Amino acid sequence: MISLRKVWIVAERDLRIFLQYKFLLIMRAAWFLAQIALFGLVVNKMLTPEVQQTVGGNYYNFYAAGLIIAMLYSTSVFIGYDIYEEADHGVIEYLLSVPVTRKELVLGRSIGGGLRSFIYVSPMLLFVLYIIGVTHPLQFLVAFISLFLFAFGVAGFSITLAVSIKSSDGFDILLGVLDALIVRLSTTLYPIAYMPSYYASIARFNPLTFAADLFRWGAGIESALLTPPAVAVFGIVLFFSVFTFLGIILHEKRLEGGSWQ
Amino acid sequence: MPTPIIRIQNLTKKFGNLYAVDHLNLDIYDGEILGLLGPNGAGKTTTLLMLTTVIKPTEGTAYIGPYDITHQTDKSRTLIGMAFQEPKLLWVSTPWAILDWHAKICGLPTNERKKRVKWALEELELWNDRHKTVHVFSGGMRKRVEIAKILIQRPKIAIVDEPTAQIDIVGKHKIWNMLRDLRDEGSTILLATNELYEADVLSDRVAIIHKGKLLVCDEPKKLKDTIPGGDVIEVVLKENITQEHLAELKNTKRVVNILTIKPNHLKIYLNQAEEILPQITEFFMKAQIPIATIQMNEPSLDDVFAHYTGLTIEEAQTK
Repeated sequence: MISLRKVWIVAERDLRIFLQYKFLLIMRAAWFLAQIALFGLVVNKMLTPEVQQTVGGNYYNFYAAGLIIAMLYSTSVFIGYDIYEEADHGVIEYLLSVPVTRKELVLGRSIGGGLRSFIYVSPMLLFVLYIIGVTHPLQFLVAFISLFLFAFGVAGFSITLAVSIKSSDGFDILLGVLDALIVRLSTTLYPIAYMPSYYASIARFNPLTFAADLFRWGAGIESALLTPPAVAVFGIVLFFSVFTFLGIILHEKRLEGGSWQ
Repeated sequence: MPTPIIRIQNLTKKFGNLYAVDHLNLDIYDGEILGLLGPNGAGKTTTLLMLTTVIKPTEGTAYIGPYDITHQTDKSRTLIGMAFQEPKLLWVSTPWAILDWHAKICGLPTNERKKRVKWALEELELWNDRHKTVHVFSGGMRKRVEIAKILIQRPKIAIVDEPTAQIDIVGKHKIWNMLRDLRDEGSTILLATNELYEADVLSDRVAIIHKGKLLVCDEPKKLKDTIPGGDVIEVVLKENITQEHLAELKNTKRVVNILTIKPNHLKIYLNQAEEILPQITEFFMKAQIPIATIQMNEPSLDDVFAHYTGLTIEEAQTK
């Protein structure tokens, strides 16, 4: 039987630890500002009105919404780095010795990893919503809840990778490469219609595509190029379920086997 | 007959071909402090990690209260609290945050939690530094944060691994008293140490472990009484002793055994040392081996260890 109280205590610990990484948080926020205040504006000016029309009338809005998803992704994966940091300091052994079940521990970490990212990105999300403007509150609520699941799913994905790869250097490199590929092979920065077909076929199933297009739909951006919301919600729920489940199973198996020794 | 609260049965851990813990059998009784004494690498920490369910045994098991550590890991941990040898602290965390979280996950209600965390921080002289990150702390301060975890938790079974390593002598006495108080309040304490004095003064019983095997387990006094001959004469010579002289010395009346720590450093186990001491000094004078120092001691746990292994604890550590 899983105790939700204990899951929350574990999640809360990850929230507090995240706040200690002040330098990282400032740097990520600075990156966001540079992208939104510089890159987005410049690219927006470069695009023809025809192109702007295909993405709902304004590429800047399209880009700003995608940027939120990229931020959400890159901060949610940070839980995997925490796991390595804890392995270095032996904190994993400590966590395994406290009166909490392995399932509560891993679930708490997935939720903590996702929630802290969501909380961190929230002010940026509000800022982007202010720029875009929300026209359908109910629609936005659906998108908002799905983004929660997306953040938890990414945290589960990161935990799965962290426990599958035993070297912290290996994890570091893989996440760097994955970050570049996953973000670029999705619709976070550009619509799928402008991608070569071989890239588009991958991007269509990318969870970042589902999240970015769902967020745009929720924010009221109207474009025929977006993934249908029902498909996007289904994709996110599936992503969340698979990686939360995998994260729990693998994490539990590795930890119980004493692989961190 | 006291009730065992931990029953270790054939507990074994293999890393590759190496037996870190080799078919260990031991009962630990409710309300006692049991000292697990052995050199570094004896298998103490591995045993503790198996008992706390951090690692799985290769063979055998142990019961924590009624719970089997191989099948009832979650329930086993509800009775246990552990202070690790190396403090397990994230360096970006503060003592207050670490201990408050620990108390929370152990299920202490808010008021009691705050009270105990404050008490432990004050007692261990960490109160003024409670909001500093532990990366600015000395080794001794980090160790105190680690120990504070079990003092706050007050578990049914407290496992402490080298609790006073890196801590100054005043701090050591304070922690020993706090561990005794914890025992008096109803906790059973399993103390792993390679410090002979610590094991001697703190433990109700001492289990000596070497190369993953249990050699002997009893009260410190009874263990010392098992040393053949009741006394020990420790002699440091200015020159090395020859094998012939050593054999001759062994045949001296009332000499039971001789441990050669170095060729010029001997521990002579014997009966009625006061009477035979002049004879021993005369022996070295006749052999023309000048004595640097000579002293008469009661047997210590080091002598017990040497009796069972043929090595001092320092030698066992280096080998």
